[in-house]
Amino acid sequence: MEFSNKEKGLIASLGVTLLVFGWYFYGSFTNLRLSAEPPGLVEFIILIVLIAVLESIIQVFVSFKNNSQLADERDKLIEKVSYRYSYWVLSACIWFYMGHILLNTWFDHLPILTTPGGVFHLLLLFFVLAEVTHFLTQLYYYRKGF
Amino acid sequence: MSQQTLAEKVGVTRQTIIAIEKDRYSPSLEVAFKISNEFGIPLEAVFNYN
Repeated sequence: MEFSNKEKGLIASLGVTLLVFGWYFYGSFTNLRLSAEPPGLVEFIILIVLIAVLESIIQVFVSFKNNSQLADERDKLIEKVSYRYSYWVLSACIWFYMGHILLNTWFDHLPILTTPGGVFHLLLLFFVLAEVTHFLTQLYYYRKGF
Repeated sequence: MSQQTLAEKVGVTRQTIIAIEKDRYSPSLEVAFKISNEFGIPLEAVFNYN
């Protein structure tokens, strides 16, 4: 199974996202306390900067490998479709949490998720799920065809 | 003509040309006309619709 440079870049980006955020969420959700405050701004900025730097390195590597750095119509179409699916995932997650706020029943057995720290990490998880959907959708259409 | 040469002349990537050849992507009309013009043959001779 041969992958194009674009697909390799997507797989690398997906791997980096899952590794970095997986490590972060594992540490965060296992250390949440009932009275926890949201995480420090410094730790959050470090996380985002780390992700941005790693993604930039991957994009530079992919651009170096590719002869053409410009996305053509197929790339733009696949990216547009993947953004649509990731928007749906993010919307579903937000609606789910809004339902929880209104009904106040789904997380009764997990009060930790109702603390400011829990809410912050849950919302961040929703964004990460949308980003993972974005990568997976692109990979799917690059492999399957469009 | 190589795939890379055709891709450069038409304004797409080589991977897109490969996807078109493998019937995994239907190009836009603009790209389809550019491809047929590069080969100097009518559009219907290059593409068909099943």
